[in-house]
Amino acid sequence: MTPEPGPADRRIAALAALAIGLQVIEAAIPSPVPGIKPGLANVITLVALVALGWRAALAVSLLRVVGASLLLGTLLSPGFWLSLTGALAALLVLAPLARLYPRHLSALGLAVPAAIAHTLGQFLLAWALIVPHPQLPLLLPPLLLAALITGVVTGILTTSVLADPRIQRHVRNSPTTQSG
Amino acid sequence: MMKGLRWGDAVVVAVATALVTTSFALTYAPGSGPTQLVVTQAGAEPRYYGLDGSRTIRVDGAAGVTEIEIQPGRARCLRSPGSQGICEAAGWLERPGDMAVSLPNRLVLQVRGPRTDFDSMHY
Repeated sequence: MTPEPGPADRRIAALAALAIGLQVIEAAIPSPVPGIKPGLANVITLVALVALGWRAALAVSLLRVVGASLLLGTLLSPGFWLSLTGALAALLVLAPLARLYPRHLSALGLAVPAAIAHTLGQFLLAWALIVPHPQLPLLLPPLLLAALITGVVTGILTTSVLADPRIQRHVRNSPTTQSG
Repeated sequence: MMKGLRWGDAVVVAVATALVTTSFALTYAPGSGPTQLVVTQAGAEPRYYGLDGSRTIRVDGAAGVTEIEIQPGRARCLRSPGSQGICEAAGWLERPGDMAVSLPNRLVLQVRGPRTDFDSMHY
């Protein structure tokens, strides 16, 4: 007998399914520049982080990375490891920053560092292992700029998602329930 | 204006913008250029030339003579027997790792920085 999934498990599964869907759709959009994409699935990670805590965000991220790679056929490929590293790097930054939400930071203030950490983590992995070329750092500034922009965009999207009353009910310490 | 923004958001965005700006400045600033030219020819030991003065060197190859112009911090393939001018078209080799190739002369020219590193074949 396997244990019955609890409500938290179902929420994580639902969020992971959304994230996988977003990532697969995004993979179908041709990017003008390799390495740059909107990262819409990170909206789901942020929602999971804010609504369910960082353990749930970690679970959703890992499920997304593995699930999307299964659908896209990239499991254990370089792209998979880059995706995994980016997700973990973003969470590493998000875990301490999440404590500042919502009093000192909004979702925007979480999304931007997450996007930058995502890009930096991927870049370091790429540079260390996949393409150890001395001129690879020349690509970093434009990638960081893209991360800044996509971070702002996903931050704004996350804010509007979190403002939805159907999501609000699940959000811990949401600005509307907190009197402070 | 978007609702729910906090003062920390401004700090975060400002720090991120500063980081991006700094990365642009650091990466694209004219920094340490290459210091050495490595001439690798099939069947011969690699030859090394310092990039500290202006001179022209000639390398004999299977198809003729490749002339290499060296200036402080850069080098280029000046003339090479290749009919398509690929070696010359590589232009000035100014960043560590830049290379020019003359297939007829079985010759690879590469400039290196202070530390030896991987080459562009890794792309």
